[in-house]
Amino acid sequence: MTLRFKFILGVAAALMLATLPWFASPTLIQFGISTLLLATLAQGWNIIGGFTGYASFGNSEFFGLGSYGTAIAMVQWQLPFGVGLIFGVLLSVIFALVVGIPVLRLRGHYFAIATLALSQVMTAIVSNLEVAGRNTGLVLPLLNGDTLFYELSLAVLLLATLTVLWISNSRFGFGLIAIRENEDAAASMGVNTTLYKVLAFALAGVFSALAGGIHAYWITFIDPVSAFDLSLNVKMIIMTVFGGPGSVLGPVIGAFVLSGISETLSTEISSLANLFFGVVIVAAVVFMPRGLADLMRRFRKTGWRYFSENVKQHRL
Amino acid sequence: MEQALVVSTMQLLSQILVNGVLLGGLYALMALGLALVWGVLNIVNLAHGALIMLGAYVGYYLFTLLNIDPFLALPLSMAVLFCVGYLLQRGILNLIARAAMFNTLLITFGIDVVLTQLAQIFFSADFRTINPSYAGSNFMVFGVTLPLVRVLAFVVALALTIALWLFLLHTRLGRAIRATAQNLGAARLYGVEPKAIYALTFGLGAALAGGAGDLYGVVSQINPYIGATLTAKSFAIAIIGGLESPLGVVVGGIFLGVVESLTALYIGPTFVDIASFGILVLVLIFRPNGLLGATT
Amino acid sequence: MKRALLCMVVLLVTSGAAFSQEIITLGASVQETGALANTGRYYRDGYNFAVEKINEGGGIRVAGKTYKLALKILDNQSDSNLSVRQYVQLLTQDKVNFLLGPFASDFALADSSVAEKYQVPMIQGGGASDQIFNRGYKFIFGTLPVASKYFESTIAMIGKLKPAPKSIALLYADDAFDVSVANGTRELIQKAGLKLTEDQRYSSNTSDFSTLISQVKSSNPDVILVSGHETEALNFVRQAKSLDLNPKMYAFTVGVPTADFRKALGKDSNYAFGMTPWVVSPANKDQYFGNAADFARAYTARFGYDPDYHTASAVADVEAFAKAIEAAGTLDPVKVRDAISQVSFPSLYGTIAFNATGQISLPQTVIQVQNDQVKAVYSQSGMLSYPQYPMPPWSKR
Repeated sequence: MTLRFKFILGVAAALMLATLPWFASPTLIQFGISTLLLATLAQGWNIIGGFTGYASFGNSEFFGLGSYGTAIAMVQWQLPFGVGLIFGVLLSVIFALVVGIPVLRLRGHYFAIATLALSQVMTAIVSNLEVAGRNTGLVLPLLNGDTLFYELSLAVLLLATLTVLWISNSRFGFGLIAIRENEDAAASMGVNTTLYKVLAFALAGVFSALAGGIHAYWITFIDPVSAFDLSLNVKMIIMTVFGGPGSVLGPVIGAFVLSGISETLSTEISSLANLFFGVVIVAAVVFMPRGLADLMRRFRKTGWRYFSENVKQHRL
Repeated sequence: MEQALVVSTMQLLSQILVNGVLLGGLYALMALGLALVWGVLNIVNLAHGALIMLGAYVGYYLFTLLNIDPFLALPLSMAVLFCVGYLLQRGILNLIARAAMFNTLLITFGIDVVLTQLAQIFFSADFRTINPSYAGSNFMVFGVTLPLVRVLAFVVALALTIALWLFLLHTRLGRAIRATAQNLGAARLYGVEPKAIYALTFGLGAALAGGAGDLYGVVSQINPYIGATLTAKSFAIAIIGGLESPLGVVVGGIFLGVVESLTALYIGPTFVDIASFGILVLVLIFRPNGLLGATT
Repeated sequence: MKRALLCMVVLLVTSGAAFSQEIITLGASVQETGALANTGRYYRDGYNFAVEKINEGGGIRVAGKTYKLALKILDNQSDSNLSVRQYVQLLTQDKVNFLLGPFASDFALADSSVAEKYQVPMIQGGGASDQIFNRGYKFIFGTLPVASKYFESTIAMIGKLKPAPKSIALLYADDAFDVSVANGTRELIQKAGLKLTEDQRYSSNTSDFSTLISQVKSSNPDVILVSGHETEALNFVRQAKSLDLNPKMYAFTVGVPTADFRKALGKDSNYAFGMTPWVVSPANKDQYFGNAADFARAYTARFGYDPDYHTASAVADVEAFAKAIEAAGTLDPVKVRDAISQVSFPSLYGTIAFNATGQISLPQTVIQVQNDQVKAVYSQSGMLSYPQYPMPPWSKR
């Protein structure tokens, strides 16, 4: 495919998605909003996890800070939604800088566990904060405008995807990839690793916070457990890894495919949905550990052997 | 009057400290298996809490159906979980042993979801307790109330830790496991196949989780969803204690138990998580090898 | 699993009837799996049972036409974000006519906004927090009594005990419902002239109470009131025993009425006080089930476990819809909403009528576990039977 063709295809897909609210059912729009937000989150995780190689469990904190920033501004200070969103993004960037600098020095599992622990700390702090409604949460004003939420979510996803596209072709992105492949080597090649990592963390924070703010206003009620939900972070990782970490469209495709599966499961088989979801995760990790993007690229050549070769390659 | 107040304050404080230490013993046992699997196999097992939950159910059914005392059931519970762990590693986790780190996190999360959901289907969401007649007994020492079961659990936890420590240090298999932690190929020098040693180690970790679960059921209530918080707690203890030695984990457990109790007393019960997970983050940043580990 | 099959059978039967009759569909998203599944099942089974029974009795008549009720239940996996989305789906895709609620205040808080957004009434029997009803929403109705008054009857009873208790410790979880309970209870304690020695908020899902219990023990109050979840009540009692905490009485907002509580604790559940807005008594007449006692018997036979007030509240929700739709004479959601606000009828759960904010006002009956049986001891009208008080110390049981 030529670059031009790809570009046209991308614009066409975006336009098609943008017109969806005018012919789709409310349920589909709602599914759209939640999927677009999840895709945005996955794209955010892609920057820190996929490109930089840091398995962050802190992205749900960004999401939570975005939610709470928006909610506090709107409910406690009666500010408009836009201001709330910006406030949420600010909170999350500050968090990324303050926490990122020490925590991003940790590598591998240690980084993952530190961010995991931080999300517990954040939940506990917010549930003691008067201004955040403590653990009882905050009720946001009701806005009957799913089309607006949909278009906003789509815009944020586009922004995130364009940013990732830029990253994948920029010096910055090469620096991140160098860090992922070998951090010490990257540093000796002159990459300012701390700066790059913190920037990547903050950038992930911006998009996750935007998603959080939109989600809070849309769902109208937040409390610490739902805002700082760790399983949301796990979903971001699964979607990114499923789609192809470090690629531009992988996380988006991963989010759409997995949301589709999970939504269908939870309506069709209801209480067995979670069990199935767990099985899907296990199977996906075993048989296609490098995601859909890799599968599409290599399946044509290898056929069904693709799966057995994956297992052969990674097993003990 | 004032003197009486001082005495009662002192008494409360010593009671709280004892509570914390006893709680810490159980915590340590929960974290022991997690630390072993992490240290040796470099697998961060997000399904660890689910294994503890399964262990608790094994203890529960042995007690209610066969009337086996939970402390006698402990080895059985451990044996069952050893098999579960061995099969999980052999059948699933070994398949991705050389894949990227995210993948082990994801797959153990997936396993956690599956185990939890299966538990609800087979055991139902009813709240269960392992409730032998002596479950609530206690005795007094210097004005401090010691719950019998927690003291027993503490002793069992210590005994298992020391047993594990001796096993790792002084048996051939133990040395092979430790060698694997350093270098995968090294295990072959001991004449053990890596596939088997991985499965044995994971099985051992699961067995310790099973033992912890059995004791947990005696002091607390069981339902299919207790796993998640137990996993998080286990992480905190493993990190604080360090992954190098089982004895470190015990120190980590007791430290965390005492910190939590004191936080609940002096700051407030809703601040417990801030304290325990805050310490975890600080330890990671400043002493990544654990409180007792070598500084880097 | 068996119950899931039963649900499907009900659905099939009711949808089979579609050929000959008109159908009104009620939709709900409840916790069938996840951390709240234990209580969620009361709602699933309660809704199903009520719909079945009303259909057996011929369904409901609306403007001269007979309708059967149908039920569409989704599992929200104890995830409040999912439950909001499922309610939208129920309304827009599954085209249900009216909404029944989920369990727990935080879910009801989030889900009721869907009802309000789409202007379709929701009657929910699972959320009691005052927060749900003081937002000025028009389309949300609740059949659990006001959270802030949960301990009202307990404190009234305390005034009549001999020797009279003087001091109280209040322990509560930090979620929407329990904070509402604590705020109301604090005032009630003050009004009753009792001394509040401990006022402690703890994290929801706390499993270790040893510090709190030691603390309470050292201030030695006569009464301990615990507002939390059933798991917390279980852990509290177990650890109170092992730490030898001996107040004159302790009372819990939830847990005590359930069979699960007694089964899990065995003899240790004795002497615990609790409350229920629902008394299993033949005096509570019901158009569809005869009376509360008949209902309880039929329910246990059908589902294999005893109902508690959650179930009764769920059944009341369905009955309230039946009555309101009949009264409205139309399926128009706004008109039915107005009819709901006007209903007043006796049911197995008590008299169903909603105040201006949409909540029922039912007094709590104080209950106590005595010799492994739940016994009603105090109601608004006064002492029903003198409770086992003071509670003997653990060493003397």
